[in-house]
Amino acid sequence: MMNLRFGTLLTVGLMMAPGQASAQELSDKQLIRTLGRVEGAAPAIDVALLVQEAAASAGKGVASLPDWQNLSKLSQLIVEIEFENDSVAIEPKSYRTVGMIADALHHPNLRRYKFLVVGHTSSTGDAKHNLMLSQKRADAITEALSTTFAIAPDRLIAIGVGEEWPVDPANPQAADNRRVQLVNLGLVR
Amino acid sequence: MKKLGLFGGAVLIALLTLTAATRADTISYADAVTTLATDCGTDIKKFCKGMNLGGGRIQSCLEGHAGKVSPTCTASLASVVTSIRARLAAQSSFAAICKHDAAQYCKGVKGEGNVLSCLNKAKRVNEGQCGQAITDAGWR
Repeated sequence: MMNLRFGTLLTVGLMMAPGQASAQELSDKQLIRTLGRVEGAAPAIDVALLVQEAAASAGKGVASLPDWQNLSKLSQLIVEIEFENDSVAIEPKSYRTVGMIADALHHPNLRRYKFLVVGHTSSTGDAKHNLMLSQKRADAITEALSTTFAIAPDRLIAIGVGEEWPVDPANPQAADNRRVQLVNLGLVR
Repeated sequence: MKKLGLFGGAVLIALLTLTAATRADTISYADAVTTLATDCGTDIKKFCKGMNLGGGRIQSCLEGHAGKVSPTCTASLASVVTSIRARLAAQSSFAAICKHDAAQYCKGVKGEGNVLSCLNKAKRVNEGQCGQAITDAGWR
């Protein structure tokens, strides 16, 4: 059992026990089930386009853009990974979360899939700086996964969206908005 | 008579412990790096500020400060690296070790994930080498 606190889960058809609050503990098996649900009608994601749109939307948000909305239709989970202030260094207390993702991605049920790692910030600070920082942090997570834990690099794509897609749009400065989204992009080609 | 029974039980337990000790258990990646964070967290914050887990940077930083890093951390670092390697090795040997059992008990099952869950249900598999490989890979 890997006990971890998770942020809000925004998954299509996610199997969860009823009555679970936004912060919850998932076992490794639940995690693998959550991420492994690939729908036949899953939309294809053009990551280059997402990067382009995020850069063009700094300070304006991406929540209304169809390409970004498509991400919500894919199997995913949201985790909190803490970093040193204004740095790409993952806090030691968040190593476990990265290790837990590695455990899931190495499982035979998920080994065939590639994943998008989306970094989000709150709206504290400059929008362009947040966009850049979130990209670097998403890069840092994929680097740790592909080196320390030997996940094939072609299974991981990192993207930062800064403060442009808050989970709590009414409170863009809230800490809940700082999060990492792990999205199953489908089979590795 | 009662004493003898107790003694016999103790021998059995000792034997079981011995059997278990001959084989090193592997642990999850999450557990491995949790040990790193617990035992080396303070040293990482002190000596490796701004550095990341990836690319072996934390490991080389801690090794580079060998004289200053706490003895607990130094000992843990080595075991964490070994644990991660052992789990990786176990996971990559699964396909080869279980090939025979998969062909025998899970004929026609497609996909590695489905083969694994089929093997996990086969009692014969659990008792053998393939079963041990699945346990070592952390896929029970």
